[in-house]
Amino acid sequence: MMWEGLALGFFSFGIIGFGFYWVIRLERFGGYLWWPYPMAIGILMIIVTLFLPDAGWSALLGITGGSFIWGATELKEQAVRAELGWFPFNPDKKDPPGVNWIKRIKAPHL
Amino acid sequence: MLQFAGFWMALATFLGIWWGHVGVRWLEAHSRSIWIPIVVLAVVGVGLNLAALLMPSILPNASADVLLTLSGVASIIGITLMWDGLEMYRQQNRIKKGHAPANRANPRHAAYLAAGMGTTEDLLAREPQGYLVNAPAPHQPVPHNASADRHSVVAQREYAEVESA
Repeated sequence: MMWEGLALGFFSFGIIGFGFYWVIRLERFGGYLWWPYPMAIGILMIIVTLFLPDAGWSALLGITGGSFIWGATELKEQAVRAELGWFPFNPDKKDPPGVNWIKRIKAPHL
Repeated sequence: MLQFAGFWMALATFLGIWWGHVGVRWLEAHSRSIWIPIVVLAVVGVGLNLAALLMPSILPNASADVLLTLSGVASIIGITLMWDGLEMYRQQNRIKKGHAPANRANPRHAAYLAAGMGTTEDLLAREPQGYLVNAPAPHQPVPHNASADRHSVVAQREYAEVESA
């Protein structure tokens, strides 16, 4: 029996659940234009996993990185949901650093 | 030497979530009944988690890192598929509420539209505006007129079946 694999599956389940939470919070207080930041954090995490000697820690960080990249793609759709009144809408959002540069790039979504 | 366990986990997590969004939407929109896909997703999900548990028996000669990677990937995909079974049900509710577009070609969705629930418009397929917008009103009920529209009669009957199930 290999319980470690099952533990990784449940960890991914938890981290995806946490992803829903932070995506809603980040969109509400910051807005969807923050998307490059979780995207960069996720990519950085995955790059770091390549250099970790332990497969277990590499796996945990990889799962977290993958969920951050997904979260970055979810922010735009979450912004539309809030504008439609399906989630609380905050008109006073805090723009991310480099907002004018970010606006030139089309936000990704699934 | 590079450690690829994390990369494969990240890929499995992202693809699992991607399928959970895009695949579940497609599957729900094209399934006449949601229960068959729910059962299939649950069975495959449980099967993958069993495979994750039994990976050392399946691949007795593999190294510890390879076993952990394959077992982890199988469990991540398995658990996301099991969750997708629940998402099928939640997606059906989104269709009823008009939070996702109904597919007129699907008799189940046509039944919802005929009963005045849902919309064929994809309200999420737009760019954020930065202010609150008014969502369109739900689809208007189709008048019950058997001679003019046989499909509405079929849809009404199927809606009654869906609701009574």
